[in-house]
Amino acid sequence: MSDLMLGSGAEAMAPPGREAWRMFFRNKAAVAGLFLLLGVILMTFLGPYVYDEDPKDIVARPLKGPGTEDVPGLGTDYLGRDVLAGVVNGGLTSLRVAAIAAALIVMIGVTIGAVSGFYGGVIDNALMRFTEVFQVLPALLFAMVVVALFGPSPWKVSIAIGLVLWPQLARLTRAEFLRLKNMEFVKAAQAIGSSDLRIIMRVILPNALPPLIVATTLVMGGAILLEAGLAFLGLGDANEVSWGLMIGQNRTNFITSWWTVTFPGLAIFVTVLSFSLIGDGLQDAFNPKLRGR
Amino acid sequence: MAPEIETEASSPILEVRNLTVTFGSFTAVDGISFSLDEGQTLAVVGESGSGKSVTALSIMRLVELGTRGRIESGEILYRGANGEVTDLVQESEDAMRQVRGNQISMIFQEPLTSLNPVYTVGDQVAEAVMLHQRLGRREAKGRALEMMRQVRIPDPEQRMGQYPHEMSGGMRQRVMIAMALSCDPRVLIADEPTTALDVTIQAQILGLMRDLQRTRSAAVMIITHDMGVVAEVADQVVVMNQGQVVEAGSVFDIFEDPKEPYTRALLAAVPRLGSMAGRSDPAPFDLVAP
Repeated sequence: MSDLMLGSGAEAMAPPGREAWRMFFRNKAAVAGLFLLLGVILMTFLGPYVYDEDPKDIVARPLKGPGTEDVPGLGTDYLGRDVLAGVVNGGLTSLRVAAIAAALIVMIGVTIGAVSGFYGGVIDNALMRFTEVFQVLPALLFAMVVVALFGPSPWKVSIAIGLVLWPQLARLTRAEFLRLKNMEFVKAAQAIGSSDLRIIMRVILPNALPPLIVATTLVMGGAILLEAGLAFLGLGDANEVSWGLMIGQNRTNFITSWWTVTFPGLAIFVTVLSFSLIGDGLQDAFNPKLRGR
Repeated sequence: MAPEIETEASSPILEVRNLTVTFGSFTAVDGISFSLDEGQTLAVVGESGSGKSVTALSIMRLVELGTRGRIESGEILYRGANGEVTDLVQESEDAMRQVRGNQISMIFQEPLTSLNPVYTVGDQVAEAVMLHQRLGRREAKGRALEMMRQVRIPDPEQRMGQYPHEMSGGMRQRVMIAMALSCDPRVLIADEPTTALDVTIQAQILGLMRDLQRTRSAAVMIITHDMGVVAEVADQVVVMNQGQVVEAGSVFDIFEDPKEPYTRALLAAVPRLGSMAGRSDPAPFDLVAP
């Protein structure tokens, strides 16, 4: 029965559900990304218990490479602190900033994009010009200014990152709303007397979710990169261990002591890559044209 | 060209007077008038682009939402259950929300796209119920089930949990009708409800609509370009072309003795059994100038 209807373009209208997950798990790169992310999360939350070293303690002579006697696994940095302990403990800052920033990005971006796309006209014009103001600002520079002005607490760093990255999501949400608001089921919902709020939240938004989930995943990778960038420039909280801060503090020694920057760099790379792979996987999984391949 | 509409002694439930709707500089509906009596079926016929759907959307006041349409002038008089007449053109958006679905309901041409793909049909019918009636989710589901039964969906308990894409076009249109009728509206506007369906399903849906109309004594305004559909369901007919009413009258008058050349052409466009006998190709015909 359902096979007969597949040719009618009806499958494009099917809700993404179990089928999407099946597609996702058949995508090797996406599954690899998921495992990488799980690895990073495990390392961040269980690592400190398994490898119980304080990343701020000076444990050996500075700038000793891995494999040297009496030096921890991944060597020591320019102050003689344990690089492995730093990598293990530094993930929390990144993941926390990514989570808070993503929440903020979704809240601002989806609200502005939805209102803009749904109402159109003057409201759309005003909101999109407002969005462009944020979009044309160089992301890192703007985040730097915010942090420099208001101080480098993790919350403020997250807010700064959220403020520079929300326009991407706002534009995507608006595009989805523009596409969906003229669909017949929206007219049908209006015809039974649904309010605007109900149509935005319960009728259009669930249909716009797949691309928004993908974009949010990708934007989280961007947020982690931005956080690392700020920390590298010394604009993170200097009292919190973070990968970006480790690279920034050791950057003068990186030619002679590669291990001080390589391992935190690798950690950033793996985390951002995992978000990227998951995002790509979700994109393919939600794309009905690729289904059943 | 615009003919007189005879007003009957019984006051109509819906009366459109000199309605003009524009999209930018384009006039889609140009000063049309007609009326719909209680318990009657009015067919609005005309070719694509004649302003039929815009008229329907204007009555629901949906023409201004999402599109650039504007009701330029005219009145849409609706007589409520208590006999009070309101002009829907002047109503606020809040007041219109109480009218839509509750007093006047609408079903659309494309049953494939007029249901939300991410919810089960049971949820969607229940949602329509809850919009206008103070019912809990449980009772709303019960009412939805009853509606699904009334539109003769087989296995309604099971069908409730299905998504629109798991249903055939005919079933989906039944769900749409169930949604539209769930709050007992007094007027049902059907915008080409059977155009997207094949002929046997079309007959079923029309039969269903006729039965439901009888049991509920609702007024129906059906929009179509299919004279076959008109002959089957309509009491009154309004023929539209290029945003204007060309001819109006009872279904017998229109079929028996069409006054306007456009109406005659529209009727002639229906193929008659045997008219092709002895030919291999359809006969060419002249397009009627408006």
